[in-house]
Order: sequence, then C-alpha cells, then structure tokens
Amino acid sequence: MNDERRDPMIEQIRAAYHAPGETPKEEMWRAVEAKLGETENGVVDLAAQRELRRRESGWAARGMGLAVAAAAVLVLGVGIGRMTAPGGGEMAMIEPADVIPSSNGVALAAEQHFGRTESLLTMARADARTGRIDPMTAQWARELLAETRILLDAQPAGTSALGELLLDLELVLIQVVGAAETGATDETLDRTELELALRSLEEGEVLPRLQAALPGILAGA
Amino acid sequence: MTELKWVEQAKGGDQRAFRALYEKHVDRIYRLAYRMAGEEALAMDFTQEAFVRAWNRLDQFRGDAAFSTWLHSITVSVALNGLRKVDRHRKRERSLEDAAPVAVARPQVEPGVRERIEDAVNALPEIYRTVFLMHDLEGFSHGEIANALEIAEGTSKARLSRARAKLREALGPAMQEYV
Repeated sequence: MNDERRDPMIEQIRAAYHAPGETPKEEMWRAVEAKLGETENGVVDLAAQRELRRRESGWAARGMGLAVAAAAVLVLGVGIGRMTAPGGGEMAMIEPADVIPSSNGVALAAEQHFGRTESLLTMARADARTGRIDPMTAQWARELLAETRILLDAQPAGTSALGELLLDLELVLIQVVGAAETGATDETLDRTELELALRSLEEGEVLPRLQAALPGILAGA
Repeated sequence: MTELKWVEQAKGGDQRAFRALYEKHVDRIYRLAYRMAGEEALAMDFTQEAFVRAWNRLDQFRGDAAFSTWLHSITVSVALNGLRKVDRHRKRERSLEDAAPVAVARPQVEPGVRERIEDAVNALPEIYRTVFLMHDLEGFSHGEIANALEIAEGTSKARLSRARAKLREALGPAMQEYV
C-alpha cells in the first residue's frame, strides 16, 4: 500500500464506507452451483448453454459480418447504378449528380443498407439504456457511416426524401461514432454524446422514416 | 495445478475446476461488490451473478489477460448495472438497518462521520467513485482498474485524483475533527 492510501482521510473512508465483513463463501457457492446446471461427476455439458448464447448474440455478429461484406456490395451497387443511369457508360466519366438513385443496383444496396442501419439504431438505443456503447455497436456504426456517405455521393443534386433521410442518418451515425470514441476516455462524455445522438434519432424520426422508406425502395428495385 | 489449467478444465464443463477458481477469487470479488453495493444481500447477488456469468462465458476468455482481470471486469459490469436498477429503490429505502449488521465487524467510526463519508462518496460521479473504491479502498492497481473498466491507465489516475479532490473538498473540515 502506498503513502497516498495511508492518508488519514482515506483510512477513515476505508473504515467507514461499505466496509465488507467476512465473505459468505459457502452460501454463495451453493447459489452459484445451483445455476450451473445439473451435474454428473461434477461435469456439465455446456453445449446447450453455448448454443443458446450463440443464438442470442448471433444476429449481432451476423450483422457485423454482413456490414463488412455489404460495404463491398454497396460500392458495387452504386457502381451498377452509375453504369446503368441514362447516358451511363464509363464510371469515371459520370458525376454523382447524374446518377438516378432508383436504378436497381443502388436501390438494392440502399434497401440492404437501411435494413442494417435499422438494426444498428435499435442496438444503439439498447446501449443508451445501459449508458455505454458496446464496441461492436460502435464498429458497426463506423461501417454504416461509410456506407451512408457512399450512398449520399450517389444521390442526384438537389433535395429528395431519400437524400434528406441519408443526411439525417449520417448525422445520427456521426454522433454514435463520436460517443463511442469519447467514451474511450470519459464515460460522462460518452453518455452525453449518446443522448445527443438519440435525441437526433427521436426528433428526426429517423427510425420510422427508415421503416417507411424501405417498401418504396424495394418497389423501385 | 495452474489457474490456466483450471480455466481449461472449467471450459470443458468441470465444475470442480470452476470451484477452485471460485475459491481463489471470491474474497476479492465479494469485497469489491460489497464496496460498490454497500449491503450484504446485494453484494452476494452481484458476486454470484459475476461467477455464473463467468461460467457461461468461459469460452470467450482467451487468456490474453489474467483470469482475475476478466473476472473483475465482469464484476464491475454486473455491479454497476445492478446498482442502476436498484438505485431509486435504495435511495428510498436507505436506512441504518443496512449498515448496522456490518458495523459490528468494522472499525469504530463516529456515526456522524460515517454518514458524512457515505454522503460524500455517494455524491461522487459513478466513474470517479468506482475508481476510488477499487484503488484506495480495495487496493487494485491502476493497471487492473484500466483493464477491468476498459479505460487507459492515465484515465484511471485522473479519475482517482479528481475523486480525492472532491472528497477533500467535501470532507476536509469534518475530518479535521477526528483525524
């Protein structure tokens, strides 16, 4: 123990604040053991428990994997959209403003993107209730932010419902990512940033708009 | 037998190996849970849940850090989440009933001072209080705290420094009477 912890004030606090008594080892072990499952010769088959856990977390893990793969699909989709747009041909010669977003490739990519984003935002809301962003959620948000920007680049000039939705989405995702990054150094900031992101989410009605946009995008595909 | 061997056997479903891990770590886990919870029943719940959660997630323990570090991380998470759930209830129900049974086993502290200390520590923001309890009251190193809370060691030191400063500010005059 160092000198700082011999500080009289800290000594007093150590004695007065929630000072634990003797550990009730046996009583707690009985409760723990009861939850570990029925045993034979002290050996438990953990397969069922692990399978259950995999099912619980599987959708999130699949979402992460899909997000990575989908970034490539998204780029391909936007590329197809540009190629098939009127007057299209050489991708390098087409400006984003010339692209029609409802072309099949873009619409399919957007539909998949919005589906994943909806899942991500649902996870972020769940994280907000715990007051901390899960690293998996944060990583996923970064990837979806990159995808959102690709889709924004593919939008025609001027305003459109889809464009506005993408801009709102970009803002929310920036805040989720920002909350995760500041959370690495200060949890108070993490929570504040997350609250801001979720306020944007609620005020912009981003989730309902995403859900409403999906059928239209599908119809355009 | 090494701890890593126990972990491997426990991963295979061997409860006796897990019991050995429990025996080795339960004291420190319980003490931490108690410091955070402030009452025996909650501390027991948090300790039990931490071990059950560890058992259920053993396959996620890769051995990159010490088993104790991994277990501390689970414990802090269980305790903080649990305390958030019961916080409102605890504020409403807070009474000397909770403190009385353990006060017998603790060093004597003037009742008035104990209340001021509890108020001052409870008033700390959660992120400062957790680091303070772990470091100054339970002797965790900044490295252990950093791993358990997934923060940088520098952040742990900064939070501890702020916690102490706030406590001095809150308790300074009161403590002078008794120190």
